[in-house]
Amino acid sequence: MSREKTEFAEFFQASWEPCLRTVMASTGSVQLAEDQVAEAFARAWLSWRKVRHHPAPRAWVVRTALNVGASWWRRRLRELPLLGHDAEALSDEALNYEAGGLDAALLAALRHLPDRQREVIALRVFLDLDIDTISAQLGIAPGTVRAHLSRGVTTLRQELSLTQAMEADR
Amino acid sequence: MNDNDVHDSAVLSAVRDSISRLPTPPAPQVEAIKARGRARRLRRVGGLSVAAAGACAALVVGLTGGAPAARPAPQAGPRSVHHATAVHLVAFTVAAGPDGTTTLTLYPGQVADPSAVRQALAEHGIPALVTAGEFCRTAVQPDPGVGDVVTLSGPRQIQIPASGQPTARPGPIVINGSNIPSGVELSIGYRQDSQENEISFSLIVANAPLTCTSIPDHGPHTGD
Repeated sequence: MSREKTEFAEFFQASWEPCLRTVMASTGSVQLAEDQVAEAFARAWLSWRKVRHHPAPRAWVVRTALNVGASWWRRRLRELPLLGHDAEALSDEALNYEAGGLDAALLAALRHLPDRQREVIALRVFLDLDIDTISAQLGIAPGTVRAHLSRGVTTLRQELSLTQAMEADR
Repeated sequence: MNDNDVHDSAVLSAVRDSISRLPTPPAPQVEAIKARGRARRLRRVGGLSVAAAGACAALVVGLTGGAPAARPAPQAGPRSVHHATAVHLVAFTVAAGPDGTTTLTLYPGQVADPSAVRQALAEHGIPALVTAGEFCRTAVQPDPGVGDVVTLSGPRQIQIPASGQPTARPGPIVINGSNIPSGVELSIGYRQDSQENEISFSLIVANAPLTCTSIPDHGPHTGD
């Protein structure tokens, strides 16, 4: 058990930030991501004997965090008839940071991608997962992962080009 | 690598850089994460699971052999519970409760034979899969949630002493068998080892393939 504790502690220290950034990119909220990732690591500790043998334990944490978020949203869906207003409020508080120019534009574009495209991009970028692993994690076909990635990147590339052109004109 | 790959890579790098520049809250202490996990395990009622860490655990089921059903237990303390329709066994009791519920009580430091528990519950009309040392689920966890079927009673069931180490008291487990739909069973798994003592509940589809693990599966599941 002592070895397991050490392993988990090392995994946690090395994985907290990439997992948090992945979930931040997926959810668009720093505060929400922090809570979801903490919950996911708590569950990882409960199931550490299984998670430590997982082919991509960081992806397990991220997927669990996103499921936590989904459960949170499902509860909100039941509780809040004015979901649209609430969702907008959540977006407004999202990624609340001092940024401007390219960063702000890219992150705004990322936030407006469909959920699945954003998840695929986040897993690709921050956990460096290949298509097959993302497919296994999200439970969707590899071809669907490629399609989400391609569409998401295309949208972001357009935003990137537009922003770079505007900055060049200044 | 073609031109699209290069462009995609540039876009993804830009996203990585943008997110990486965001300030993030510092990582919590790993002990805080573990404590959150322990607290979650103690309060878990929707994939209901109750556990206690360490030697002070109170919700204990010994696994050192099968206990013959219906053998009278040494009577002491809460084990003297009697009811007109109670089945009284060595390590547990199953009794009819109010409102058509059934109460299962497991006693610390005793031996509960899974087949005897299953048989006793069946006599109260509760279809159950009872396992010791492993926790079984089906791929689909049918409605209703297990929290609608199983509740843990006892106002002081979970205590967090000054040491911060939470402990679980052995409270009765109230099972509302009438909420179990046809074709659904209650899976009850329990385990005792040197580190943890744990009991976990979930609803399963009768006769469906089972996935059994040595620890309760708290990971991602549809509907979690």
